[in-house]
Amino acid sequence: MKIPDQSTLYEGIADRPRLRGNACSACGRVYFPPLAIGCEKCGASETHLRPESLAASGTVYSLAQVHLHRGKTPAPFTIAEIQLDAGPLIRATLAPAAAHVRIGDRVSAEWAVVRTEDNGDELVEPVFTASSTAAVTTNGAHS
Amino acid sequence: MRTPLAQLRPVHVVGVGLHPYQRPSGTPYTQLGVHSVRAALTDAGLRWSDVESAYTGTAVTSMALSRLMYRHLGASGIPMVQVENASASGSSAFRQACMEVAAGLCDVAIAVGVDKPLNVTDPQRAAGLQNLVGDRVAPPTHFALLAARYMHDYGATPEQLAAVAVKNSRNGALNPNAQRREPRTIEEVLAPPQISGTLTQLQCCPIGEGAAAVIVASDDAIARLGLDRTRAVRVLSSAARSETVYDLENFDAALTRETTEQALAEAGVEATDLDVVELHDAFTVEELLYVEAMGLCKPGRAATALEDGEFEIGGRVAVSPSGGLLSMGHPIGPTGVGQVAEVTAQLRGEAGERQHAGARVGLTHMVGLGAVCVVHVLRKD
Ligand SMILES: [Zn+2]
Repeated sequence: MKIPDQSTLYEGIADRPRLRGNACSACGRVYFPPLAIGCEKCGASETHLRPESLAASGTVYSLAQVHLHRGKTPAPFTIAEIQLDAGPLIRATLAPAAAHVRIGDRVSAEWAVVRTEDNGDELVEPVFTASSTAAVTTNGAHS
Repeated sequence: MRTPLAQLRPVHVVGVGLHPYQRPSGTPYTQLGVHSVRAALTDAGLRWSDVESAYTGTAVTSMALSRLMYRHLGASGIPMVQVENASASGSSAFRQACMEVAAGLCDVAIAVGVDKPLNVTDPQRAAGLQNLVGDRVAPPTHFALLAARYMHDYGATPEQLAAVAVKNSRNGALNPNAQRREPRTIEEVLAPPQISGTLTQLQCCPIGEGAAAVIVASDDAIARLGLDRTRAVRVLSSAARSETVYDLENFDAALTRETTEQALAEAGVEATDLDVVELHDAFTVEELLYVEAMGLCKPGRAATALEDGEFEIGGRVAVSPSGGLLSMGHPIGPTGVGQVAEVTAQLRGEAGERQHAGARVGLTHMVGLGAVCVVHVLRKD
């Protein structure tokens, strides 16, 4: 069974990840990660911040391959800034197979296993890879 | 009605002092700080009992650290407070000291930056914020992302970015208070270890400790205490801002542009009037971004201007003659105060081998996590 590693940030298990963002009903700004408490753009209170499911697809704004890292993720890995089609500029990890991705390329998310529990459950997170027609139309290709 | 610093009573830097920036050691922060204060008092020709108010810029050492340090100068009962504003802590402490003198609440105030990396904390964690990358984006990666986009936008090369560290290492080599004292070639700067993206270790500022102190005074105090007016440096403006919503424009650059514009306007100075600039070059790409954001050259032109020697000591405008954060170091609390000490030395003509000839107008700039930005303009009359 696949379980989202951070269920506040992405929805459970469809073939392709979707992000749990939110939008301000007062000014229209869309947030990911979702913003609580009040709107950064206009100051509207949390009652104006409505959950909004965002497609995990967009355009690469910048890229950095991390060569030296002290945390639990083994280096090298690549971090991308991605402007989501829904608006927000986010930071995410690229799939190892996405090494050829460049600034300006279209990318979308697929699931990657963070860790496998003793009972066989897999904790998964979205990582981004080059968008391709095949990836979008082939059900379960990455699930 | 809002009144900028320049229209309050004049504030002058009358004394500066440093404890060299260095790798973290067993020396207590109290000793680092007192060393810099004594140096600043000697430089000014003042006694500790002349100082009426103290602001301590500090971010990563401990809460409540001021009195444990200042008591070693003789407990005089003056007000003291820590000013925490991430990398801009020292600049913010200096701003508070200037404002107190300008407002007439006291005649002599001191800003001291002191830090040892003992308690580095994380506001995102405190706020319980989550994101997709967890701990995978450390500061070098934040700036590696900026570097990649800058190179994409303007066709700059990794070698052109590395040239910032080459220049600043030459300046740092001439600065006895710098943490990195070795002049580096482009080959050395580009050599491994590579940290993130195109950024190598020598393109990232070192982790360190140290202290810096700056004493500011009113005209009254200069007269009453018999200070050397010919060595006083006027603080023309103090601007501080925080991030707004910029969409795709990089927030540190946007914030630098806004804050510098305000500081220059309030000082009645054009960017082209600046002789020396100390800026937040924690990572090489920042110097290129910020000189453009400050209006020292046109967007996309910084790498070429650097190659042409425009930002060297003796060039069109000396950028980070101290060695900057890359070579002088970035002990956090001291950094912004140390910038004021360097610009003061330059404007007095006392910077020795690092002297930028004829320096009259200088600017200091720090950005800090948040993001925040603090800019000061100083002039020797
Ligand atoms: Zn809003």
